[in-house]
Amino acid sequence: MTWRRWLGALALLGGLATPALGDRLLSTMSNDEIEITSSFDGEKMTFFGSIAPDAGAEQKFVDGPFQVIVVVLGPTADRTARQMTHNFGIWLNTDQVTFRKFPSYFHVLASDRLADITDITTLTTQFILPESHTLVPNNAGWWKTAVFGRQLVRLMTEQGLFGVNESGVNFLSDNTYSARLTLPSNAPPGPYIALTYVFKDGAIIARKSEGFAVRKLGFERFLALASVQQPLLYGVVCVILALFTGWLGGVLFKR
Amino acid sequence: MQIYLPIAEMSVNLFFLVGIGAAVGFLSGLFGVGGGFLLTPLLIFSGVPTSVAVASVTGQVVAASTSGALSHYRRGGIDMHLAMYLVLSGIIGAFGGVATFDLLRDAGQLDLVIAVGFLVLLGFIGVLMLIESTRALLKRRSGIVVRERLPNQHNWIHGLPMRVRFKKSKLYISVLPVLIIGLFIGFVGSLLGIGGGFIMVPALVYLLRVPGNVVIGTSLLQVVAMMAATTILHAVQSQSVDIMLAFSLMVGGVAGAQFGASAGKQLRGDQLRGLLALLVLAVAIRFGLTLVLAPADAFSMVVSGTGAGS
Repeated sequence: MTWRRWLGALALLGGLATPALGDRLLSTMSNDEIEITSSFDGEKMTFFGSIAPDAGAEQKFVDGPFQVIVVVLGPTADRTARQMTHNFGIWLNTDQVTFRKFPSYFHVLASDRLADITDITTLTTQFILPESHTLVPNNAGWWKTAVFGRQLVRLMTEQGLFGVNESGVNFLSDNTYSARLTLPSNAPPGPYIALTYVFKDGAIIARKSEGFAVRKLGFERFLALASVQQPLLYGVVCVILALFTGWLGGVLFKR
Repeated sequence: MQIYLPIAEMSVNLFFLVGIGAAVGFLSGLFGVGGGFLLTPLLIFSGVPTSVAVASVTGQVVAASTSGALSHYRRGGIDMHLAMYLVLSGIIGAFGGVATFDLLRDAGQLDLVIAVGFLVLLGFIGVLMLIESTRALLKRRSGIVVRERLPNQHNWIHGLPMRVRFKKSKLYISVLPVLIIGLFIGFVGSLLGIGGGFIMVPALVYLLRVPGNVVIGTSLLQVVAMMAATTILHAVQSQSVDIMLAFSLMVGGVAGAQFGASAGKQLRGDQLRGLLALLVLAVAIRFGLTLVLAPADAFSMVVSGTGAGS
């Protein structure tokens, strides 16, 4: 059965190369920059869009029903999942698998149950399912990769960095939708991509990607940069600050 | 009020940070210790990444020990000659400690070694202190006058070669044990994020027979200098010093220490030592439990690289 699936996926990919199926997606979002300041405690974002006939198409209306999936993908980093086992009476990390270029943030918003929108092959090959990011070749071997990958997705989900919300996209009319996402306070800074897919009868008929940035601003940005670019100076400033605070405390309280 | 920590990349309640800083500062003022051995575990248990907690607390320990060291200096309670030997060997030890810290972090065993280190060190010191203070309490209760150990009572350590005269401490001893103590505390302190005052003071008193009037001052100066060097080393090598975290803890700690110091005057020395021993043992047991009890989650994850290269 597998080869058939792969053929299906190939056909699908071929289809994607020519998405001009008569409809297009017009979309926008509430912020294209999220600023992390000292009081940063997460941020709400809204994605809007509408499905319209292609420019110059004869058809003046679109024919639904449509389903929309918005995938928000954060910056990637190498991430290691570790397992503790019980040895000689104590618990210690004994095994680990490193996933290269793993997303630090991944949320899926959908207008319906993912399984009802399209088939598992599309969800996997388009990297819509969180687990699909762990299914890349890894020198740890497929079994360990699968086990640790599942655990990694679970850990990321528990921290609110991964998630699937199957009622995250609401249709305002037959062809306009809005999707709301709350970026948590631990959202990693960096470039983000919001990928919007429009499905009809299980096939992608339109897609669009938009970028936005989560970045440290002002003093926080300055500190984070200084700690990396001028580590010696940063350390010295830290020590001077500590000595000064300690001295000031002694003076203020007349110890 | 939430505050964003730029290095830990997490948002924490500012009052919580200042609060634990003040609480630990109070205890450190009360017992005359730096407080790193309480603060580092508290931060780890409240979710701050271990590496950031250890590196940032070193900065806080500098602040917590500065005012004490200054006041001892004004009173002439520091043996500068002895402190110099301790500081130099301590900084060398800190180089080793920070390098080991980095190796362990990359190998995924940092948390294990820190837990074992705290367990062994605090368990050992805690038991010793508890025995000593219980004896003192019992003796006092039975009415026997406890005779102070005389500084001229020598032990085998005083027979080692390479002797140096420390005028202020009225000692003529080998520098080898001094350097070894400095090295050890520098290594352990930078690895565990503690000042090591609670190891230094007993080592100076019981091993080297340093007289009581210069012990605390010399130990505090050593902690300030060694932890300052360690903070810089951590900033350069592991880049995990969070200045916002350290500063929040400092503010609470410096204020709390003043109240602790005045509260400490209400209690007798042996009672204080007994209480400190119990506190030290409690932290040791807490670390011991994390090692033997099944973890809530056998799996953990960590960012191991930026993903930019290779």
